Amino acid sequence: MKGATLRKVVFLLVFLVLAGFAAREFLELRHFKETVIVSEAFTERRMLSDWLPNLKNTWGDTPVYFFDSGVPGATTLIIGGDHPYEPAGTIAAYVLMENLQITSGRVIVVPRSDMSASTQGIVGNGYPQFLHIPTSWGQQVYRIGDRETAPLDQWPDPFTYVHYPSGQNLAYQDIRNLNRAYPGRPNGTLTERMGYAIMELIRNEKVDLTIDFHEASLMYPVVDTYVAHQRAEELSFLAAMFSQAEMPMKTEVSPKNLHGLAHRELGDFSDTLAVLVETAEPFIDRVVGRVTEQLMIDGKDEFLQRAADKGLLYTSYDINNAQTIDNRVGRLLTSAYQLINVYNMMHPETPCGAMFPLYTDVMTNGTGYYLQNPAEVDPSRVFEN
Amino acid sequence: MVFLQEVIRQIYFLMSAFFGLLLLRALFKRTTRTSLVYDIVYAYAIIPFLLRALHIR
Repeated sequence: MKGATLRKVVFLLVFLVLAGFAAREFLELRHFKETVIVSEAFTERRMLSDWLPNLKNTWGDTPVYFFDSGVPGATTLIIGGDHPYEPAGTIAAYVLMENLQITSGRVIVVPRSDMSASTQGIVGNGYPQFLHIPTSWGQQVYRIGDRETAPLDQWPDPFTYVHYPSGQNLAYQDIRNLNRAYPGRPNGTLTERMGYAIMELIRNEKVDLTIDFHEASLMYPVVDTYVAHQRAEELSFLAAMFSQAEMPMKTEVSPKNLHGLAHRELGDFSDTLAVLVETAEPFIDRVVGRVTEQLMIDGKDEFLQRAADKGLLYTSYDINNAQTIDNRVGRLLTSAYQLINVYNMMHPETPCGAMFPLYTDVMTNGTGYYLQNPAEVDPSRVFEN
Repeated sequence: MVFLQEVIRQIYFLMSAFFGLLLLRALFKRTTRTSLVYDIVYAYAIIPFLLRALHIR
């Protein structure tokens, strides 16, 4: 073999070895299963493909958990993991599922609404792939995914994404963004089909109140905010008012001409009261330093503090009292609880009697306190997502 | 519609494999840009096409 050819073979082998290391990490995230231990109130686990069969055996299919009191009342749907790079949304849904007590009505939880997006990380931004939550019995591990459906599952992207059915032009990558794909269509892209299946779940199960858990950057005006469909405006304003006892929340009404989002389309295409909740996630902002797992846990970043000092943020930030994972998970839980609470006040004849840990509980005891040890519970209550 | 989308998606995976093979060929059989630096660039550039063609990333 000539020297030049040998050199090329060596380079090729070196990069193939590097590709092998990368592939192992990618595959680890792609196939990692999260564990959730459902509370005693759990009644049934179904799949999203039950509402749209062509999702079956795709990465768009995802578990749907039912908690039915057996007593007539309202049905509340909790959506987590719409954007898996906002991990508090899914973790809050899991904490709720593991601790939920229900006395009337039903609670339905979709903790990983875009399963595909949760199976690929944001390596380009240097994001870690997993989040480890410490507990008294060890660590519970969760995937940190991407914002959009994995290109492995939906590809290629168009030059411009034309939203269905509004015809509104959106950024090309939003064709893989579940929170731009509602109300979806049954024969559309994988993400549109996920959106349509969630719409079908809402319509068929007659969901009264839908709460979509998100996190937002601190330089984004809609942070620590309820974003409500106009039919849920009064509900959200009152919930924000009641939330003040534990933590400040704002309310915005969903713009009628901004399409594809949960707070717009879920309310327009069903009878549900649709509210999206944004909590402050101190690592989405582009100004932060290294995006590490520690930053996701403790929220401490000196660059964000400088931005706060210069008045560039839309919510308060203090590096010594930053938005920890406990803060964000607790905030989402209390936000949901207050929405249900106000709904019950407005509809006393059909209440949804749901109880779960709230902001003060999670801030006092930590998120891990509310995650059960899978080795110590009835195996029939242990599920993998 | 869903079937057509799936066909297009699979064509793009085949295209990834095709361009990966083109790069592999260019690594070993090219007449211009023959320096060591371009050997590294061609060998490196194969990685994303390979990972996509194998449905890994």
